[in-house]
Amino acid sequence: MLFSAHKKDMRLRIAILAVLLCCGFSALLAFQAQFKEYRNEEDNPAPVPKDAFEKTEWTFARLRYPSGRYTGYDGERGSWPTDFPKADRQFLQGVRRLTKIHTRSVEQVIDLVNQPEEIFNWPWVYAVEVGHWDLTDAQCKLLREYFLRGGFLMVDDFHGTFEWGVFVQSMSRIFPDRAIVELPDADPIFHTVYDLDHRLQVPGLQYLYSGKIYEKDGTIPHWRGIYDDDGRVMVAMCFNQDDGDAWEHADNPAYEEKYTSQAYRLGINYVTYAMTH
Amino acid sequence: MFEFLFKYPPAIFSRGKFVLLSPWPVWVMALLIIAAGAGLYWNLRQRHTLLTNLRTGIIWFAETALLALLLFMLWHPAISVARLRPQQNVVAVLVDHSRSMGIADDGKPRLQAAETLLNDELLPDLKKRFQVRMYAMGRDAVRIDQTQGLAADDNATRIGDSLKHIASEAGTMPLGAIVVLTDGGDNTGGVDRDTISQLRQLHVPVHTIGFGPDHFAKDIEIIDVAAPARALPLSRLSARVAIRQHGFSGSKVKLTVRENGHPVSQQVVELKPDAEQSETVLFNSGAAGAHTFQIGIEPLDGEQNTQNNFVVRLVNVAEKKMRVLYIEGEPRWEYKYLRRAIVDYNDPAIDFSGMVRTTQNKTYYQVARTGELANGFPTKAEELFGYDGLIIGSVEANYFTPAQQQMIRDFADRRGGGVIFLGGRFALADGGYSNTPMAEMMPLRIPNEKTWSRDFADVALTEAGRESPITRLEDDRASNDARWKKMPQVANYAVMGEPKPGAVVLMTVAEAGHRPAPLLTIQNYGRGRVGVFASAGSWRWKMLQDHTDKTHAIFWQQFMRWMVTETPGEVVSSTPHQVLSDDTRLPLRVSVRDKEYNPVSGATVQTSIVRPDGGSDTVSLKPDPLESGVYTGEYTADKPGTYVAETTAHQDKTDLGRDTLTFRREDGVAENFGAAQNRDLLEKLSSDTGGSYYTPANAKRLSGEIAVSEAGITSHDNLDIWDMPILFLLVIGIRGGEWLLRRKWGVV
Repeated sequence: MLFSAHKKDMRLRIAILAVLLCCGFSALLAFQAQFKEYRNEEDNPAPVPKDAFEKTEWTFARLRYPSGRYTGYDGERGSWPTDFPKADRQFLQGVRRLTKIHTRSVEQVIDLVNQPEEIFNWPWVYAVEVGHWDLTDAQCKLLREYFLRGGFLMVDDFHGTFEWGVFVQSMSRIFPDRAIVELPDADPIFHTVYDLDHRLQVPGLQYLYSGKIYEKDGTIPHWRGIYDDDGRVMVAMCFNQDDGDAWEHADNPAYEEKYTSQAYRLGINYVTYAMTH
Repeated sequence: MFEFLFKYPPAIFSRGKFVLLSPWPVWVMALLIIAAGAGLYWNLRQRHTLLTNLRTGIIWFAETALLALLLFMLWHPAISVARLRPQQNVVAVLVDHSRSMGIADDGKPRLQAAETLLNDELLPDLKKRFQVRMYAMGRDAVRIDQTQGLAADDNATRIGDSLKHIASEAGTMPLGAIVVLTDGGDNTGGVDRDTISQLRQLHVPVHTIGFGPDHFAKDIEIIDVAAPARALPLSRLSARVAIRQHGFSGSKVKLTVRENGHPVSQQVVELKPDAEQSETVLFNSGAAGAHTFQIGIEPLDGEQNTQNNFVVRLVNVAEKKMRVLYIEGEPRWEYKYLRRAIVDYNDPAIDFSGMVRTTQNKTYYQVARTGELANGFPTKAEELFGYDGLIIGSVEANYFTPAQQQMIRDFADRRGGGVIFLGGRFALADGGYSNTPMAEMMPLRIPNEKTWSRDFADVALTEAGRESPITRLEDDRASNDARWKKMPQVANYAVMGEPKPGAVVLMTVAEAGHRPAPLLTIQNYGRGRVGVFASAGSWRWKMLQDHTDKTHAIFWQQFMRWMVTETPGEVVSSTPHQVLSDDTRLPLRVSVRDKEYNPVSGATVQTSIVRPDGGSDTVSLKPDPLESGVYTGEYTADKPGTYVAETTAHQDKTDLGRDTLTFRREDGVAENFGAAQNRDLLEKLSSDTGGSYYTPANAKRLSGEIAVSEAGITSHDNLDIWDMPILFLLVIGIRGGEWLLRRKWGVV
């Protein structure tokens, strides 16, 4: 009798434990990463606002990717956090002020190395200095799936023939079957909020010291992209330009307003395009 | 036995009137009974003081009852009844010779059983008293001299039409009664009220003799199939199938939908112990055009009638694209993915137009037609009513002017359009929709507080959701359930209030540990439909599943089809019988409305019908005096096959619109259904007209009872009943019983 009661008790405990484990597992599956600081990897620190953990429709999702194998630009933190997080948070302020998009005050880092599946919760992501990135096969496969499901990637701040080659080397593994093309001025991506038929080459902060609005041999800016089967941009490339710096230094009196304005307008168009196409 | 005890058949008592023929008043009889009772009581109290009160009472009652009975007989009771005069009246005998009368229930076809009964037993008696006219009954009643050579070959039975035919002859002959030998398998759904009323006015009783069993021992029959008459291309359709079975309880059968003989959908159902049950089967409408589907149960071994397992339903799949407008108050992922669910698949049924407020003062338009929405959200009913469906996202109620709010309500109510409200931080309760005309049209009550949450939550189908074509991702119910159980969570949701009466909740949403709240709720509103999807997080069903997975697209395509499929045009033609089974008459009904969907009176409405042989006929429809903007008419389809009817409406040379309807006449089908005896119909027909229902076994009584009728040439007779054997038996019984009791109690 006692044994039977003990056995029953044990069964009950096991059942409760199983239910709890199941709930825990479900919660894990359902988990969407919250805001997290990367203090040791910050390029240009910025204060964390009080509403950093607000749940919103959209936020600036920055891709944390591996880099440096070909370019030597690996260091401790790699190239992914260039301008981070100040550029992100200043751009977010602009999105909040200028659009009706429900926007968080801080960025979300999408860690392609440690938590790659998280990217599917963020249909718009930004990657900087992609002239240094170095994706694994698994990451290429994941990004391809991400784009085919409807994800959007904006890449920025890479310059010249060499960096373009590095970028394309990974990109062609993601989409060996799709061409990178110049985006025509008439493409809706330049007209969702602002009409951007006439665009400037947006320089990095370095132009204030060097006097050159281009870097390396990237004298001509390009707005390129990869389209899906329905003619929509999946990957938008801001090549030979540095919109990240324009957002980052929007509060720098020396950095010209015309560059900042265009960077904001372009970013807002890209975000709005991704949310409507 | 009845006649032995009561002297006359039951019909004499049921149709005659009781009278007392004695010249003495009734009150004298009552007085004498009271006096006799009192005298007997006094006498008993004097003589039987040793008996208990109960025993004295019983003896008193028996003696009083005996005296009362004798006094009643002295007052000369009789039944006054109208009876047909011999050889001066006509009795019409109708013999059903439809195909169902050819069924051999006990090795002998029903028609043969009817012939044998008629010729061997009924006719000799009837002919002695009446003139007999015989008719063969099928689509109509046709005069015959004899039943020999009559074959069970008519494709339909119209008892009502046949009776009407006979009744119309009553003016030229003394019709005393009608006798119908049939299985009651009427193909028009019964005998109409006019015919019954006409027979009652003529006082002609209809006596029915029913053949065939009440039901087959082993049979599965499709009683009815409710399927949509119209659909959009490539739509998942739902048909509700009513099944009746005997002898197959617990069997697993295949519920199948066929087109051109090929199965397009099939599911296994278990037949329940109850004789009747309803099941839902889903199938695809296919491409534009008229589709003929056979819906039913695959025959089982041992079935006595396999011709009643399938019925035909016609579905007109429209070629036109329905117009949907989605207004979104802020850029949201839901908008992007919802739009993709339609445009990525080149949906042949839906023209999708969207408008999204991107900034406080800017709206981004993605329209299907050039020049559409040039001035923003429509401000005129004529413009808004040009759409068939409307999706309202996260946009504050006060974004719309009061006139626009009213117009949105009228869009569903008067125009008959479909409206879907989505959840959002500016939608439903959070968007201030309470106390607006739009709150009234929603299937759920709107809470007074803000309830929008950006927490992830699980979704689940309700019982109604498991059956609905909106939420059906797989044809097989179990697979569908399993797929929904694995569905990624939605990214946000709003908690709505209680569903309103008539609303159906198809899906619920709940965070772990929370009570489920309605997620997807639908209802009909006025002439249209309204749905609430209290989330904007279904986009995760796309982003969190493999890119080849079509869950998200299927759901939204089906939800939008529900929204717009039944949205009417300005001119809508319809008929209650799209498939005429062994019938020729097609009632037509056309509703005509103007651009603002107000009913149009005084229009010229014509239907041009292309026959199966390529020829055409034109029917002019007349205004319905009871319903404004409705025009009705009737067409006779002379030949079997498919007909196409195009209706046009004009007023003062203005074209008001047109609509196309397809219908089909099928012969040799109706008699396969309801092949068992429809006893209820026959009993009701007899009872409504003053006749009686008989089985072949007791039909011998007919010739005796048929004479009792008020129709034809009659005479009123008073039939004595004082000498009924039952009365004498009662006298003996009462006296004998009293004597036995007295012996027992020792007071003889």
